[in-house]
Amino acid sequence: MKLSKSLLQAIAVAVTCPGCGLG
Amino acid sequence: MSRLYSSIACNLDTNSLQAALPLFESEKVQAIEWSFDTLFALGEMPDWFAELLRAYSQEGRLIGHGVFFSLFSGKWTSDQQQWLNQLKITSADFTFDHLTEHFGFMTGEDFHKGAPVSIPFTASTLAIGRDRLQRLQDAGSCPVGLENLAVAYSLDDVKRQGDFLAQLLEPINGFIILDLHNLYCQSYNFAIEITDLQALYPLDRVREIHISGGSWVPSAVNPTKQIRRDTHDDSVPAAVFHALERVMGQCPNLKYVVLEQLGTGLTTEASRRHFQEDFLRMDALVQAAHRADSPPMLNSFLPLNPPSIPEIAPENPLLYKQQTQLSAILETATDCAQAQLFLKASSLANSDWEIENWHPEMLETAIAIARKWKDGFVQ
Repeated sequence: MKLSKSLLQAIAVAVTCPGCGLG
Repeated sequence: MSRLYSSIACNLDTNSLQAALPLFESEKVQAIEWSFDTLFALGEMPDWFAELLRAYSQEGRLIGHGVFFSLFSGKWTSDQQQWLNQLKITSADFTFDHLTEHFGFMTGEDFHKGAPVSIPFTASTLAIGRDRLQRLQDAGSCPVGLENLAVAYSLDDVKRQGDFLAQLLEPINGFIILDLHNLYCQSYNFAIEITDLQALYPLDRVREIHISGGSWVPSAVNPTKQIRRDTHDDSVPAAVFHALERVMGQCPNLKYVVLEQLGTGLTTEASRRHFQEDFLRMDALVQAAHRADSPPMLNSFLPLNPPSIPEIAPENPLLYKQQTQLSAILETATDCAQAQLFLKASSLANSDWEIENWHPEMLETAIAIARKWKDGFVQ
């Protein structure tokens, strides 16, 4: 699925408990 | 089989988002699964994360995966009602294509601690589970499903889970998340073929499949044996990919295949690259299974009848007492032998829990899991 360029840029900047794996 | 979506578990986790970013950029991620209740305590999220959720939601490709509802607690609590209230609010913000929860009850002393472990398959637990699923469906206003649990106490538990899930889900026309790594764990831990395990599940009720990795843990009670754990902190084993390839064609209502991995297993560039390779391998299998001329899904998993939710939620005080005792034993016993002594002296002895038949290695595993999550997620 295509995401907007601005959203992808926001995620890229940002990346600079979830419930799976409870075993 | 209708359109199939290659999906990832997507949460507000730096490492997993770093691993997923190249997949988002290359437009490979067709749907995302969000553990929505992991943010209930936080109360807010970054604007960009809300935008990400909304982008998938608007395309009908956002699915929710709850953690903390504790479906089979013998006692109905205000925390559970509050959880449903928050789900209702969240569902108004983000439209879910479906919602799921874990099979079992949470071992923790309160609502955000512990891990899900199994329950006896009885008429009473069936009634409680069906009631809670109706409430979940009412709050979410969308199809509702349950995930098969990895941890079982005995081979009999393993063999009966699929049929019990089918009975649970039938009144709400619910669906199953078939977690193939959970089956892989059971296959190894109980020496039973994964294909034989799959055959015990109503595959026409499978709308979602999970794949993930895990870890090997040496058993203290049986030094010759290793236990396979569903820790989601490593790459997907080849056997799980093979199981995925085999089973997809047997699931006429399958819609989502989801790759799960925790951020704790994605701390290096190499591990993030493995995650991306796993996704692309999964996607290739999904695309091969999906044919353009596939017939539409046979089941929407929407309720066939209007919900009839009783004013007072059914409870089972003895079950609650047994769950409380079991949780305390799992969290405090110094080892498996002491846990067995405590269990024999508890209300679980000579009961539907059939503790007399529990495999020591699996009791040891349940102790390790309860301990791992004992201190909870928020301190």
